[in-house]
Amino acid sequence: MATYKLNVNGKSYSVTASSADMPLLWVLRDKIGLTGTKYGCGIEVCGACTVLVDGQPEKSCDMSVQEAVGRKIVTVEGLAADTNGVKAQAAWVAKQVPQCGFCQSGMLVSATGAMKAGHHGSSIVPELNNLCVCGTYARIKDAAKTL
Amino acid sequence: MKDINETADDFATEHGTGLSRRAVLTGAAALVVPFVFTPARKGAMAATAGAGSIGAYIKIDTANNVTVILGASEMGQGILSGLAQLVAEEMNLNWSQVRAEHAPASIAWPNPYGNPLFGAQLTGGSTSTRGWYAPLRLAAAKARDTLIAAANLQEGGVWALGQGGTLTKGASSITFAQVVVTASGLPLPSSATLATTTNFIGQKMPRLDVPSKTNGTAVFGMDVKVTGMKFASTIHAPVQGGTVKTMPASVSGTVLYNLGTAVGVLADDTWTAMKLAKSMASKITWNVPADPNAADSAALATAAQGLVASPTATAFAAETVGSPSVTPGASSLDATYSLPFLAHATMETVNCTASVTANACEIWAPTQGQQFIPGLAATITGLPTSAITVHTTLMGGGLGRKFETDYVAEAIKLSKLAKVPVKLIWSREEDFKNDYYRPSALIRVRAAVTSAGEITDLIYRNVSPSINIQRGTLPANNPEDTGAVAGAVGLPYQIGAKLIEYVPLVPCDVRLGYWRSVGESYNTFAVESAVDELALLAGKDPLAFRKGLVTGPNGNPRALGVLSALETLTNWSVAPASGTARGMAFLSGFGSYIAMAADVGKNSAGQAVVKKVYCAIDCGIVVNPDGVETQIQGGIAHGISATMWGEVKFVKGVPQVTNFNKYRMLKIGEMPEVAVKIVTSSEAPGGVGETGVPCVAPAITNAWAKLTGTRLRTLPLYPGATMGDD
Repeated sequence: MATYKLNVNGKSYSVTASSADMPLLWVLRDKIGLTGTKYGCGIEVCGACTVLVDGQPEKSCDMSVQEAVGRKIVTVEGLAADTNGVKAQAAWVAKQVPQCGFCQSGMLVSATGAMKAGHHGSSIVPELNNLCVCGTYARIKDAAKTL
Repeated sequence: MKDINETADDFATEHGTGLSRRAVLTGAAALVVPFVFTPARKGAMAATAGAGSIGAYIKIDTANNVTVILGASEMGQGILSGLAQLVAEEMNLNWSQVRAEHAPASIAWPNPYGNPLFGAQLTGGSTSTRGWYAPLRLAAAKARDTLIAAANLQEGGVWALGQGGTLTKGASSITFAQVVVTASGLPLPSSATLATTTNFIGQKMPRLDVPSKTNGTAVFGMDVKVTGMKFASTIHAPVQGGTVKTMPASVSGTVLYNLGTAVGVLADDTWTAMKLAKSMASKITWNVPADPNAADSAALATAAQGLVASPTATAFAAETVGSPSVTPGASSLDATYSLPFLAHATMETVNCTASVTANACEIWAPTQGQQFIPGLAATITGLPTSAITVHTTLMGGGLGRKFETDYVAEAIKLSKLAKVPVKLIWSREEDFKNDYYRPSALIRVRAAVTSAGEITDLIYRNVSPSINIQRGTLPANNPEDTGAVAGAVGLPYQIGAKLIEYVPLVPCDVRLGYWRSVGESYNTFAVESAVDELALLAGKDPLAFRKGLVTGPNGNPRALGVLSALETLTNWSVAPASGTARGMAFLSGFGSYIAMAADVGKNSAGQAVVKKVYCAIDCGIVVNPDGVETQIQGGIAHGISATMWGEVKFVKGVPQVTNFNKYRMLKIGEMPEVAVKIVTSSEAPGGVGETGVPCVAPAITNAWAKLTGTRLRTLPLYPGATMGDD
């Protein structure tokens, strides 16, 4: 058991993890209580766990709590404080993107990250390495066009 | 068109509810019972709401917000929002004051929260709008009239319904909230006149749950937090159908809990629990089924090949017309279609939170099957059902998987044994390996066609493992399993002589279940591939051929309607873009009619690529056209994944897919353009949640046949694909 200091959505957290390799995903969900970030596969394939790390989309199932120390972590709950995040969220609502909604946290974080990297409009879409089983892809494309 | 009782009966058979016909009929006859006031319920509602309430389903709070409490489960289909639109229409509300919540689970009969179509509190078969449309509108209209009566009584004079939850008399205006306590003391009227406005019904209302699904506040089952809870993980036998044989009571201080078909561990976080559970695998031995071939894809396929030619089969008497006879020749077809086992692969793995104490049991579950849970919990805990509370959470996809209760039982057992609240989340690996898989199917179609475009004879034989036999709801010998042949029975096509047969593939130890679009997901592939092949044999255009089959004195105007709409939507007589070909399929199912066309080309590897999909649907009266469109878009995406890549193989009981990396699904860059045309209809609402899936596979393979001259009769088209593939 060791304690790690994390910066998540602009706030400081001191968390106790059973192991230094505990994934950031589960620290966020089970230790901090930010459950907007989802577990989907645990092997970096589905993207449901995507968070911003120093502005870059990263799959939090494969980032250890130790690696996250000293980095600026932004989860879906923190997108409201990001200009691009707010725009993406508004576009998702306007185009009525979510169905079950489970993948959309990661999807929106990925979209926000793409916008921060200078992508806009349809050029955001190839940046979204996120799986959506409901098939909201058509609406995501519609939403991206407005960003 | 089936009557309501037949539909309910079919549902019970197809979905294994175990409800007798009599019970179903009782439920169907008691449509408005749930909406009648009872003093006990009224008291309970008022107590929990802290304000007056009206009816079991419609709650009005002091802020004048109107909450609709619904027995249907939200799994992405937008049902809570769609049904709330009906109430908003009848009560002339503002959309901003409307809320929708899941009802608690009940096992009372009639179930106060049951789907009026079949009585039980279950979500499946694309039945929610179909079931609640009329009764919920009537209930809301009665609630509205009772509020008006209350205003007349309380305030004096004659009051009229205003806008936005108000009542007016001349220049005076009061809110529903101001009269709801008076209203709750009045009897509901025996009848009410439905609103003639269309402020909500037929309108693209924004979904109530969408904002919460963009900011992380939506609470899925996986997100439930209960004070003092431990995090749990379970592992199961490596082969299908295994049970715990031996296990240590603990390993290095970690207590192992024997759950019968699984072993569970607890920890202070999910990751540690999953890691511990995996590390225990070598310490556990399992009882396994005697015959490993009963859950072996290759052995089952060989057995199915034999049964396709078996002299014994169950014929569906109601479907039989004359004595069909098909002799090989230039105008006859003898084709066999094959489909694999499929996993649900919901984005949210199955999970459940449970808190069992000496005198109460509380459960938080992402579930499509609330009806089953109180009884299950009572059996496990020994508590009366009155001590059991079930909270339905949002589901990160259901797709039929969350109709089952295996994961719910595990959470309840763990909480009971460990005497703490537990949140159990299955790892993705356990979720893939312990699914209730869509049955595989081998389907032989023999048919004869004339040059005039008439199908004179049809002999259809489905060989597939039976969900109902596996669950004991139908006998293994000679079962009329309507679920197994759904999509091949009740066809609106005019066919001369016809025989529909079923041969159950037994034994089968692969655990089977209901997968989005159930029997139609395999039978429609065979039917619509065969119809296309017959059109080719007849030298007819496939769309004109199908129109011919539904035209005439015994024709079907709604079927013809969607076929004609597809013709217009696609500009059918004009060829699609160079390098692509267009194929089509049709389905009458889930109370709706749908015609779909796919423009298919080739990628650089020579594989099929779906460029554009067109869909014409007649789903009766539409509550939310945006919801219809998105469900069709989603159904198409789901259908493409299954057609191209979807398959779970079993080797001697061991499922060969354990995570998304080996379960290739459609990626965003591969989503085709989709054009949806909703045919205007005044018929009763039909289902849309599953309706978009079945036509996708045959539309693609029919297009491929046109593009390449090669007929593909085996799904998936590209087995063994991985998510790393382009």
